[in-house]
Amino acid sequence: MKTGSLVFALLLAAAPLGAQEPAPHAATHEACGAHDPGDIITPHITDSHCLEVPGFPKIWEPREVELPRWAPIHIGSHELDMSPTKHVVMLLVAATLACLILIGAARAQARHTDESGHAKGFAGGIESMVLFIRQEVALPNLGHHGEGYAPFILSLFFFILLANLLGLIPYGSTATGNISVTATLAIITFVVVELAGIRAQGIGYLNTIFYWNKDLPMWMRIPMFVLMTPIEIVGKLTKPFALMIRLFANMTAGHIVVLALIGLIFAFKSYLIGTAPLFMAVAIMMLELFVAFLQAFIFALLSSVFIGLIREGAH
Amino acid sequence: MRTLLRSLALSVLLAAPALAQEEAPKADLLSPSYGLMAWTLIIFVVLAIILSRFAFGPITAAVRAREKALEEAIAAAKRDREEAARLLDQHRAALDASRGEAQKLIADARVAAERVRSELVEQAHAEQATVLDRARQEIESEKSRAIAQLRREAVDLAIAGAGKVIDRNLDQAANRQLVESFLASVTPAAVSSSR
Repeated sequence: MKTGSLVFALLLAAAPLGAQEPAPHAATHEACGAHDPGDIITPHITDSHCLEVPGFPKIWEPREVELPRWAPIHIGSHELDMSPTKHVVMLLVAATLACLILIGAARAQARHTDESGHAKGFAGGIESMVLFIRQEVALPNLGHHGEGYAPFILSLFFFILLANLLGLIPYGSTATGNISVTATLAIITFVVVELAGIRAQGIGYLNTIFYWNKDLPMWMRIPMFVLMTPIEIVGKLTKPFALMIRLFANMTAGHIVVLALIGLIFAFKSYLIGTAPLFMAVAIMMLELFVAFLQAFIFALLSSVFIGLIREGAH
Repeated sequence: MRTLLRSLALSVLLAAPALAQEEAPKADLLSPSYGLMAWTLIIFVVLAIILSRFAFGPITAAVRAREKALEEAIAAAKRDREEAARLLDQHRAALDASRGEAQKLIADARVAAERVRSELVEQAHAEQATVLDRARQEIESEKSRAIAQLRREAVDLAIAGAGKVIDRNLDQAANRQLVESFLASVTPAAVSSSR
C-alpha cells in the first residue's frame, strides 16, 4: 500500500492544488461515507473505493460498502493497483448490460425472423439502433471494405452509451466522467486508427507521419519535411486527445451542473425559491439524458471518421 | 435561460471557496489512475470481442439475410408479373382469333342457309307448276271426254226419238242425215241450256 500511495502522492504533486497539501492525508484510506458533508459534488464525480448500494427500510440501510483492496501487480519495475473501484464496478455493469441487451436482442431477433421474417418489439428497436450506427454512421465514414471495423464502432457506441446512462440513475456513477476511462478509450481508438492505416496503406502509412511531398522540388521538400512532420504527428495525437477531453468534460460538467443545482435547493433553505433550481435541475437532467446519447454517438462517429480518413489516405 | 445562467454563475461562485479548500480529492479529477485504465482496456476489449461475435454478427447477418429475401421476393414478383402480362397478351390474341373464327362461321352458315332456302323455294315453285299443269291437262281431257260422251248420248237419244218418228214414215238414212246436220249446228252450251 505504501508504494501505491506514493504513486498517488506523486500524481497529486503534479496537480497544482495538490501541491499545497502533502501526501499523508491521502495515504490513510478514508472510511466510506466519511467525506465532508458540505461537499456533495466531489464524491459523485470522482472515483473511490466505496460503492453506494440501495437499501431496504428496516432490513438493509442504504450505505456505502468498501470494495476489496488487492495487492498491486508488478509489471517489470512498475506496479499496478488493480483493486476494483466504483468506476470499475460501473464499467463492469455497463459491459454486462451491453452483453445482456445486445445478445438478448440478437437471440430474439433470430427467433422473430424465423417466426415472422422480421424483429419485433425491443429486439426490433435494438436492431434499428445497431443498423443506424452501422449503416449511417460507421460504413459511410469507414470507406470501402470498412465492414471489419463496424463491430468496433458499435461496441464503442453501446459501451459508452450504457456507461453514460449508468451515471444518471440513482446509486450509479459516471465512469465515462473519469479521465482514465476516456483516455483508455481514446488510446484504444488511436491504436485502432493507426493499425487501420498500416493495414490499408502498407508502407504508404509512413506518409501520414513523415511529410515527403514528391510534387515539390527538392530544395522545398526538405524544409517542408522539417516543418510539417511535427505538425502531422501532433495532428495524429490531437484527435484521440480531443476524444478523451470531449467525453470526459461533457459527462463531468453535466453532473457538476445537476449536483450544483440540487445543492442550491438546500443552500436557499426555502421551499419557494428552492423550486426554481429544482426545475432547472430536472431540465439539465433531461439535457444530460440527451448528452449521454449524443456523446456516445459523437465518439463512435469521430472514431469511424478517423479510421476512414487514414484508410483513404492511400488513394 | 438568463436565470439559468445566473444561477449557474452563482453556484460556481458558491463552490469556489469549497474548491480552494479541498485539496486532494479535487485534484484527483484530472490525474489518471493506471489500475482503472487497465480495467477499462480489459473490459472494453473483452466486450468488443463478445459483442462482435455474439451480437453484432448475428444481427447483421439476419438483416442481410432479410434484405436478400426481400430482394428475391421482389425479383420473383417482377418475374411473375411479366409472365402474367405475357399470358394475358397470349390469351387476348387467342380470344381475338377465335372471335374472328366465330364471325366467319356464322357468316358462312348464313350464306349456306340462304342458299338452301332459295333452292327449296325454287323446287316448291317448280313442283307447284307441274302439279297445276297436270291438273289442267286432266281437267281438259275429262272435259273433252265428257263432251264426246254427251254428244254420243245426245245422238243416241235423238236417234231413238227420231227412230220412233221415222219408224212410221220416213226413210231411215235420209232422216238420220238431217238430224246429224242439225246437231252439228247446235253448240253443246245450247244443248245444255235447251235441256
